[in-house]
Amino acid sequence: MAGKIVADQLEHSTAGSLDTQFVVNGSAKVWANYNDSTPALLESLNVSSTTDVATGRFRLTFTNAMDNANYSSAGNANISGHYLATGVDSNGNAQTTSAVDKWTTRTDTGALADSTQIGATIHGDLA
Amino acid sequence: MSTILVNTLTGTTTAGSIAVTGEGNSTTTNLQQGLCKAWINMDGSGTVSVRDSLNNSSITDNGTGNYTVRHTNNFSSANNSPVIGTGSTGARIYPDLADSGTVGTSVYGIIAGNASGTLTDARICTGHAAGDLA
Repeated sequence: MAGKIVADQLEHSTAGSLDTQFVVNGSAKVWANYNDSTPALLESLNVSSTTDVATGRFRLTFTNAMDNANYSSAGNANISGHYLATGVDSNGNAQTTSAVDKWTTRTDTGALADSTQIGATIHGDLA
Repeated sequence: MSTILVNTLTGTTTAGSIAVTGEGNSTTTNLQQGLCKAWINMDGSGTVSVRDSLNNSSITDNGTGNYTVRHTNNFSSANNSPVIGTGSTGARIYPDLADSGTVGTSVYGIIAGNASGTLTDARICTGHAAGDLA
């Protein structure tokens, strides 16, 4: 079994110190690089599966759940030829402890559109 | 309060993998995986400049609303996950990763444009990149 260190602070010899609460609370608990057009999960942390809900709508399901649905979700979406906006899909399940639903739309028409490259990160507390 | 004096954290079983107990005390998250490996706050208007950053080697102004951000230490694959933002005074500016092919192990692109798709310089450009370092 690997060792376990219990500590409140890390201190570097020259670069300063950091309370370990920022390591625990400040680390991204979920991130993903997702292609909603294929669809394909290209690389991720703490994502067990993805769901292509509909055009421009998708779900990221977590391996380890968050402790509540009030976490912070951020991201961007890309597709060749158009600008896309992205956000939490309140017409779907929005944010739950086990998954987040997101949408991507074209900024010029407002129409839902599949993105070929979505970056998403979630910060908050694990259950 | 206990303090660990250390310059490098290294896993014992796997050097690049350290588990951190989550806030709920029931699961763990991976320290290396959860860290933001590169971040930047840059001024994309006029003569572009970096306000503050981590793991950034340089930026390039490719023209109006079009920027390239390069890492000092590269990612292990081009499937890393940059999340970007843009902002300015006046009209809303939308961020967009530059078109396909520009997210690589050492680089990503930021495009800033208005709702109709016209490229526009952004006074604030930010980026966070997660993924595995090489």
